Amino acid sequence: MSAAVVTGAATAASRPAALPRLARRVGRTAGRTVWGSAAIVLFLAVWEFAPTFLLTPATRVFLPPLHVVLAAGWQLTLDGQLESNIAASLSRAASGFAIAVVVGVAAGLLIASYRRLDAFLSPLLELFRNTAALALLPVFTLLLGIGETSKITMVAYAAFFPILLNTIAGVRGVDPLLIRAARTLGVGRARLFAKVVLPAAVPTVFTGIRMGGAASILVLVAAEMVGAKAGLGFLIVNAQNSFLIPDMYAGILAIALIGLAVNGLLVALERRFSRWRAPAV
Amino acid sequence: MTPKISLRNVTKRFPVRSGADASAQGTLTALDDVSIDVPPGDFLALVGPSGSGKTTLLDLLAGLTEPTSGAVLVDGTPITGPGQDRGVVFQQYALFPWRTALANVTFPLENRPVGGVRLTRAQRVQRAREHLELVGLRGFEDRYPHELSGGMKQRVAIARSLAYRPDILLMDEPFGALDAQTREQLQDELLRIWRATGTTILFITHDIDEAVYLGTRVAVLSARPGRLQAVVETELPHRGHGGDIRSDPRFVRLRHEVWSLLHGGDRLVAEERAVA
Ligand SMILES: Nc1ncnc2c1ncn2[C@@H]1O[C@H](COP(=O)(O)OP(=O)(O)OP(=O)(O)O)[C@@H](O)[C@H]1O
Ligand SMILES: [Mg+2]
Repeated sequence: MSAAVVTGAATAASRPAALPRLARRVGRTAGRTVWGSAAIVLFLAVWEFAPTFLLTPATRVFLPPLHVVLAAGWQLTLDGQLESNIAASLSRAASGFAIAVVVGVAAGLLIASYRRLDAFLSPLLELFRNTAALALLPVFTLLLGIGETSKITMVAYAAFFPILLNTIAGVRGVDPLLIRAARTLGVGRARLFAKVVLPAAVPTVFTGIRMGGAASILVLVAAEMVGAKAGLGFLIVNAQNSFLIPDMYAGILAIALIGLAVNGLLVALERRFSRWRAPAV
Repeated sequence: MTPKISLRNVTKRFPVRSGADASAQGTLTALDDVSIDVPPGDFLALVGPSGSGKTTLLDLLAGLTEPTSGAVLVDGTPITGPGQDRGVVFQQYALFPWRTALANVTFPLENRPVGGVRLTRAQRVQRAREHLELVGLRGFEDRYPHELSGGMKQRVAIARSLAYRPDILLMDEPFGALDAQTREQLQDELLRIWRATGTTILFITHDIDEAVYLGTRVAVLSARPGRLQAVVETELPHRGHGGDIRSDPRFVRLRHEVWSLLHGGDRLVAEERAVA
């Protein structure tokens, strides 16, 4: 194996046995995992014990210990409430997000390709981008009601901007040298886009898609809290209004976990498509 | 015999904003009335100080830009854009980072037929493998550019330009960013490839040693505006065959000759400035 260019691997060759190195690496990874999880474990422990030992019974009602919340979550899962609300939220998020991806990438490619279009639209885009999506929530509700349309539109709107702006940046950021090189290598103007511009822009576009994914969940939950008959946002607000405090926390926990999962998925996707990039050490 | 490459009174000017006033348009003459012929199979080294228009000249020959006046001919015909007959190796490698070494070399083969036939995928891979081997990169086919050293990247770039067998190879300071040892190694490999393929090479450098070592002739450009100062014939038949040709008295003399031309050029410019 020619490992000379891989840093670190070169030092391995000088060591007699690979086994201790492997063991050490496993140990190091495990150590990092333990250290990284320590804060979470600590947080959960505080959540579990602080209410019991530090809070008065009156306030404990507002911050029930972890096991109570988990039990409530389990109960919600058993009677199907949690699943149906998660399904409602996810289908809205997915629809809005999908629209944002398609429209955002297409519009981004278009705007980046036509300078005049860009000069015309960018002030407007800048204005909209800097208007927090949540500030427009009442507008969407007024115009589109409190049904699915308004929520999906909200999500699409919030996810659209990061995707659009990153797509534009990705196309803009293509090294002109690569375009020159491609032309000398027989790529005509017509195929330049497919052969060079698009592949070069892919990682930046995916960064936008990941940011858009995070934004869509954030905005969706808020929209569901304002007016909805299903969804995690609804579950949380409804539980609060019905004074089912453990249910409320169970909903919040579910949102946290879903957010984490979605982000993990999108990060993995982004990494898959940016494999060729030099890792930023 | 028709020269392979022929520049006839080529001048290239760029519009520039002059001075503090951004609206004032001036022009900058990058190349001024350059004429030179390169016979087939020649290895012409082009030296000149920074900003003397070397890259500008290469862009013209590559067909990426057009001369303001004058003509750029290949095989006696004016060029109309980039072409199959010319390969370019850029100073900054210009590899496609999303493609592996192998896929970088297959890139030009995907875009146009080679020798009149479109290669199948298998043929392209085969051809790319051969050329990676030619530049000593066997076993690195699946590496991405960021996983390669500078010298390896430049080898890939050379393999990529050779893969469609152009008659002419245009190289813009291809070894400028490499350490001395890698550079000498690649210089010898280039000479070997040149002898094996009979390609006409235009090799840009600002390293006098490199120019004298590689070129059968060395063309010297003066500082702005780039004018062709002189063309020096080198007669060093044993280049690239081992041995320390660089300390050969003939080599030393040639190097001094090119050096004087470059520095005489500087003095000339300084005198012109003093007069103006
Ligand atoms: N597109 C352009 N627009 C305006 N001026 C340009 C352009 N390209 C080159 N020039 C100018 O033309 C002159 C010659 O540039 P060129 O890049 O050909 O020099 P060079 O000999 O390759 O220098 P170096 O050794 O530093 O690479 C420079 O003064 C440069 O500023
Ligand atoms: Mg240059």
